[in-house]
Amino acid sequence: MDKEFITIREKETAVRVQNTKVNAVRMKDIVKKGVRVYKDGKIGISGAVGDISDEALVHNAIENLSAGIPYPYELSGNCKDYRDYGKQRISSAEIVDYGEEILAKLRAEYDDFSFSEGFFTNEVTIQMKNTQGLDLEYRDSYISIGLVIKDKKSANIFDGFLGYYGRSFDMEKFWAFNEEVLEAYRNQVPLPKGDTLPVFTFEFYELQKFLSRSLNGELYATGGSIFSNKMGDKLFNEKITIKQDRDPANYPRPFFDMEGVVLEDDSYTLVKEGKLVGVYTDKRTASNYNLPHTGAASGAYDGMPTLVDAPLRFAVDSDDIKAALNGQMAVLVVASSGGDFTADGSFAAPVQVSFLFDGERIIGKLPEFTIRSHLYKMLGDDYIGTFKNKHLYLGDGALLQGYYMTIA
Amino acid sequence: MYIFPEGLYVDVRIEEVFETKISFKKRELYEQKVRSNKGAFIRVFDGNRWYYSSLTDLDYIQEAIDTLAQMATPNPNIMEHPIVKAFEVNKDNIMTYESQSVSSVPVAEKQKLLEEYLELLDHPEIVHHTSYYVDNRTVKSIYSSKGTAVTFDKQTCGIRLNLELSYGDNKDTVVVSKAAVRFEQLKGLEDEFKKEIEKSIIFVKEAEPVVPGVYTVLLSPEATGVFTHESFGHKSESDFMVGDETMKAEWALGKTIGQDLLNIVDDGTVIGNGYTPYDDEGTKGKKTYIIKNGKLTGRLHSAVTSAALDEPLTGNARAVNFEFEPIVRMTTTYIEKGSRPLKDIISEIDNGIYVETVKHGSGMSTFTMAPARAYKIENGKITTPVKVSVITGSVFETLAEVDAVSEEFELMSFVGGGCGKMEQYPLPVGFGGPYTRVRKLTVQ
Repeated sequence: MDKEFITIREKETAVRVQNTKVNAVRMKDIVKKGVRVYKDGKIGISGAVGDISDEALVHNAIENLSAGIPYPYELSGNCKDYRDYGKQRISSAEIVDYGEEILAKLRAEYDDFSFSEGFFTNEVTIQMKNTQGLDLEYRDSYISIGLVIKDKKSANIFDGFLGYYGRSFDMEKFWAFNEEVLEAYRNQVPLPKGDTLPVFTFEFYELQKFLSRSLNGELYATGGSIFSNKMGDKLFNEKITIKQDRDPANYPRPFFDMEGVVLEDDSYTLVKEGKLVGVYTDKRTASNYNLPHTGAASGAYDGMPTLVDAPLRFAVDSDDIKAALNGQMAVLVVASSGGDFTADGSFAAPVQVSFLFDGERIIGKLPEFTIRSHLYKMLGDDYIGTFKNKHLYLGDGALLQGYYMTIA
Repeated sequence: MYIFPEGLYVDVRIEEVFETKISFKKRELYEQKVRSNKGAFIRVFDGNRWYYSSLTDLDYIQEAIDTLAQMATPNPNIMEHPIVKAFEVNKDNIMTYESQSVSSVPVAEKQKLLEEYLELLDHPEIVHHTSYYVDNRTVKSIYSSKGTAVTFDKQTCGIRLNLELSYGDNKDTVVVSKAAVRFEQLKGLEDEFKKEIEKSIIFVKEAEPVVPGVYTVLLSPEATGVFTHESFGHKSESDFMVGDETMKAEWALGKTIGQDLLNIVDDGTVIGNGYTPYDDEGTKGKKTYIIKNGKLTGRLHSAVTSAALDEPLTGNARAVNFEFEPIVRMTTTYIEKGSRPLKDIISEIDNGIYVETVKHGSGMSTFTMAPARAYKIENGKITTPVKVSVITGSVFETLAEVDAVSEEFELMSFVGGGCGKMEQYPLPVGFGGPYTRVRKLTVQ
């Protein structure tokens, strides 16, 4: 019988903010453990929060074997890989100091706004080991800042955000960028004229979600994806390359999937130069549907490996936003909560917070409006490009992506 | 039970959670997980700042209290602090589900029930399906240095069928589900599920793109629930209002924001996902009229916001689990039923949209709702299915556009998911209401 152990340790200090003052400090130090046992092509699982003994968890996992859940796949093994991405560990005391310093300046110089939410420092260690020689460890530490901005003259619940995520933090760069942002919040400007405008986004959640669903190997193979039967077809603008991405440098998550698979270069190409060349799979999906295995298993620490929402990342294909805009002003979307794609790819979303953007600098805050497009338009003829974020101090790995969209 | 340090307010929330998750991919058993976890959240308040800690080893609660107390500055007048004075002191034990606990139902029986429903999914248009049985029984105990000592249980269970539909180039993802509080209530749902599945198949075959525009929109009880939660529920969470004079003026109690027929309630005593007999700081659950006869009459509070706004406690301080502090959240929020039959309300719509089921919603200054199934209303009749990306409206104006609510009424809960507020997601909530007609909403 093979055994596999997953251990997650999360330490967090959160500095909670209300009305531009620290109102609470929260500390968390939690261990979550999961065990899987494999016998005769079956899998048994168990898990717990807290530092429970391995023996107790193995006992529960062996009992779970009686459920008869098939898992006739080869275990990942013979791989030892320890990586630590935490460059600059920030202590609880330091994050409180950072928070107090930032809030003092906000109170002094931006009293027309109030700020809430908080400052966070996290340390995480995720280990996966098994009796086939798998020994993986991902360690990381990072800070994140999320401040909700409320204009004191506004009756909205909130009017904008200041945000940062990264493994190191530079106060000077933070202010150089966020002073520009806060000045822009004070400077209300009209939308540029025209029914179609260049629209830039940081992390286009709805697009990522729709692509992630459509590139799911299981959905693809069973005919439920908008891309089903289109392998090898040109779907998008030829500039576009999309990878299944597990590089922790781009986002704080383990470099291995929940079946212990480590990819070469931590990535797997699914769309190359606009053409569909792959869909993401775990071991089960690859086996059941005769698809290439891409190491995309997700799942809970104490659950079955499953295939949901593999992390995707567009390759950077363009360099200079200002040059791409050729003198035109763009819209930079900060919040467009609640929009969605229909199953056939039509898209609409209200934009609650956005800025006028010249490709380098944020000029002013725009009124609310609606954006509309279609998947094949925004990633086809209307696609502008995916750019490295050179000018906006938002943290590690942030990309900017642009498309022309209908404005209403 | 615990030694509470002098000069500080302290409360301790202990959660013992039993959960089951069983899933099938098509007809193959995919996961069968039963877990029991315990955790605690501790708060210490010195009158100036709160100090929180969450832990999983309950033997260390006293140690955590003492550690947080060392970070705080003892305040001899802490009991006179307005927030501390606001806390209710309750002593109670309400174990509603002890004799019908989902933890006492054999896992094989739960699996068998789910398997029986898989028989309904043999349609050529259903190209894939993943199905779930889930349950949760949580026993919470709350103790405070003011003397509160309450213990209660909550329970939910549900069946959720995630269906992938394909008909030529038409694709759709559909969720058919039923939430309950007792295992027995999940039996005998074949007809209800069959009807939903058949409607979804017709939808994927026949739905047309909607012509974008401003329409009169009729909302089903499910859509009314999402609409109420997103368009106004979040606005009534008073932590958004503390220290904000503009918000207080805009949403002053007594202000008219809808027609007389509009009554919106949040009620933590309603059985279901939002059931909160005591909130997470030990305040007894209450029924709160947020809007009565079209006028703003109340807000949702924790002790902090109640003290800040000098309004009564409502029992709405809730945390998503033991890792987080309680913040102001909804429980079960709904529009009260009206007196008009649904058929009369529909008959008055010449050109509108009926929203039957909803994928998700959001509520900032603009509220949104992404329909799963929507239909045209033409000359007083529900007709062709239409694909809609999103329905939007201004939270400042839309409630005034509600001009009819039906006598038909239903409360419900989602299976999986819930309400998100900043870092805390998903919090189980109840929702629903009557069929509701909104004169003008933007449909795209």
